[in-house]
Amino acid sequence: MQVEELYRYSDTVNELLARYGVKFGIYKNGTFKEQLFPFDMIPRVIGKDEFAYLEKGLKQRVTALNEFIRDIYSEKKIIRDKVIPEEFVYMGSGYLSQCEGVMPPKGVYTHIAGIDLVQGKNGKWYILEDNLRIPSGASYPMIARDLCRKSSPATFEMNALEDNRNYAKLLRQTMDYVNTGGHTVILTPGRYNAAYFEHSYLAEQTGAHLVTGSELVVENDNLYFVDYSGKKERVGAVYRRISDEYLDPMNFNEESVIGIPHIYDIYRKGNVALINAPGNGVADDKGIYYFVPKMIQYYLGEEAILDNAPTYLPFYEEDMKYVLEHFDDLVLKDVAEAGGYGVVFGSGMTKEEKENFIHMLKANPRRFIAQEVIDFLDINIYENGHAVPRKADLRAFVLMAEEAMVWKSGLTRFSRNPDSFIVNSSQGGGFKDTWVMAE
Amino acid sequence: MRRLNYQYHMRLSFPLPVENHHFTLRCLPIVDERQQIENQNIYIEPSYIGGYDADSFGNRFIYGTVKNAHTQFLVKVTGTACVDAALPVPASELHKIGMFRYQTRLTGMGASLHKLREKCEKKKADQTMYEDKHLKRNSFEKEEWEQNDIVERACELMDVVYQNFEYEPGVTNVTTTAEEAAMLGRGVCQDYAHILLALCRMEWIPCRYVVGMMLGEGASHAWIEVCDGTNWIALDPTHNRMVDDTYIRISYGRDAQDCTINQGFFYGSREQVQEILVVVEEMKE
Repeated sequence: MQVEELYRYSDTVNELLARYGVKFGIYKNGTFKEQLFPFDMIPRVIGKDEFAYLEKGLKQRVTALNEFIRDIYSEKKIIRDKVIPEEFVYMGSGYLSQCEGVMPPKGVYTHIAGIDLVQGKNGKWYILEDNLRIPSGASYPMIARDLCRKSSPATFEMNALEDNRNYAKLLRQTMDYVNTGGHTVILTPGRYNAAYFEHSYLAEQTGAHLVTGSELVVENDNLYFVDYSGKKERVGAVYRRISDEYLDPMNFNEESVIGIPHIYDIYRKGNVALINAPGNGVADDKGIYYFVPKMIQYYLGEEAILDNAPTYLPFYEEDMKYVLEHFDDLVLKDVAEAGGYGVVFGSGMTKEEKENFIHMLKANPRRFIAQEVIDFLDINIYENGHAVPRKADLRAFVLMAEEAMVWKSGLTRFSRNPDSFIVNSSQGGGFKDTWVMAE
Repeated sequence: MRRLNYQYHMRLSFPLPVENHHFTLRCLPIVDERQQIENQNIYIEPSYIGGYDADSFGNRFIYGTVKNAHTQFLVKVTGTACVDAALPVPASELHKIGMFRYQTRLTGMGASLHKLREKCEKKKADQTMYEDKHLKRNSFEKEEWEQNDIVERACELMDVVYQNFEYEPGVTNVTTTAEEAAMLGRGVCQDYAHILLALCRMEWIPCRYVVGMMLGEGASHAWIEVCDGTNWIALDPTHNRMVDDTYIRISYGRDAQDCTINQGFFYGSREQVQEILVVVEEMKE
């Protein structure tokens, strides 16, 4: 395979990643810290047929999620037909009343989706969560692959794998598809954002302008980019890497100083595309996750190809009963949290913590979901010259233009702590390249 | 049908000049079957670039930007509203108005509201009807209200709010929540409306906040509407009565924040003084 040849370059590649600024910024106790995102040289390898199966399932899932968002902000048939209880829509943090009746250009809400999967010991894949708001991470395997190819070209000559450098092309296609006329920009909150490296890298790779809110202005119902000389040029698509809440102080959080006043007003009129569409977080709430297989059935008339991890909603009395009876076997997740926060294992609690938690659960059952702990398939990482097993997940990227497209790679994140299941980069995890074989 | 001449004046004064002043104004009366608008005139100074649109609640608004430095921002809207109290305000299908059943940040329940709620005498034989099961149970199994009961019950709740709350300007502000107002026991129309919304939502009654004007001279007014399954029925908790044809509706929302009359974002000193004058007079034939 010649894969081992790669390992020799571990230090070189990590040094280069650090030099190019592949960092992850985190706020801890009020201060901003940038930390390196450690890269492991052993790629995760996914066979051609296996990935074809994942691809089919991911396309199906994201297509249904997009349908769901469109339905929720218009006809709400899925609520009328009692497939999803309305409280999971209206009480979720992702639902925005401002999006009612607003149709984004070409009806696309989920331009870029990051779907997290894990593989169980039995080889079966499970969907762990859907990230539809501003999923990040594609840039890391892109640049890592590039550096690996340069370090050990022979490895890539000997192995027939899908080239993952086409992500920029897929992204450009996705942005161009909904562009309403004019430039395409990537809107960043600035260099103190956790994913600033990604914003600048994607701008460079797609040829889009990297801008901050102060460089964009709304005039005469259009959005303009104002250059250094004061010249204005129309913008037709904004891949915004700032959250809905901060996008427009006139329509969302009025305290926001990083947004663009009135950008949502002209979006409502169809004069600019916002990528991803505001309000699409209504579909990636952890409470809604439970209903995705039902959504696929409802909108597409198909059985879900990829399964969810077995999940219980304490909201339903019978599920609550199950959760209380099997508390120690389950992992409990707060539906309002992300990034690995608000996740607790029943078995890891003291008696007192458990009592407090159950009290909280009973008082507000909608706030939590419970899942069976999946025995992840370990994959090896290279540490101090040895291969050692660690827990890992896979974030697959699904982009939507005319139809859903799956990037033939992905971000494999692993936990550096041998006892931990939590792989999130904000919790100090590392990443790997993901090879999808072409033959 | 009653014909009402209305004038809505707003003046923002800035002690120091501000520029790049972005604004959104929700101060145009609603146009529907029940409320026809004639001879509307809108005057805004200084000059601005912008336009008109409607938000997700169907509220028409004016938005724009005043680029140049200014120390005063004037808005004047005048016109005639022809209000026909005999015509209903139809609601859309129930599954589409679900958002009006949930508490918002401004109407969320707290100890004082719960205490107030205990005073809401239960006249029905089936008292379980009033229990807020909706957090504990699957909403599909929730008991549906009978159409007449909704309005009757909303009026009972309105009476409780009216009897236990005192009108007093200046003790609350636009950010005061229903719970804070209930704790204080005093406030203005916005607080009456928020408390009544909170109580109605506790009982699973879909209801919305309404901003408008009423006959006379003073500030803008606020009240609520409850959905009886077919129509929106308007109640004015500040006066403990049903809304008649002396009221002009401007905007709807889940709470006061959705109906903010003037929202602004500008560069300059934060200080500003807002003066509002609303005059509504009956037009004699």
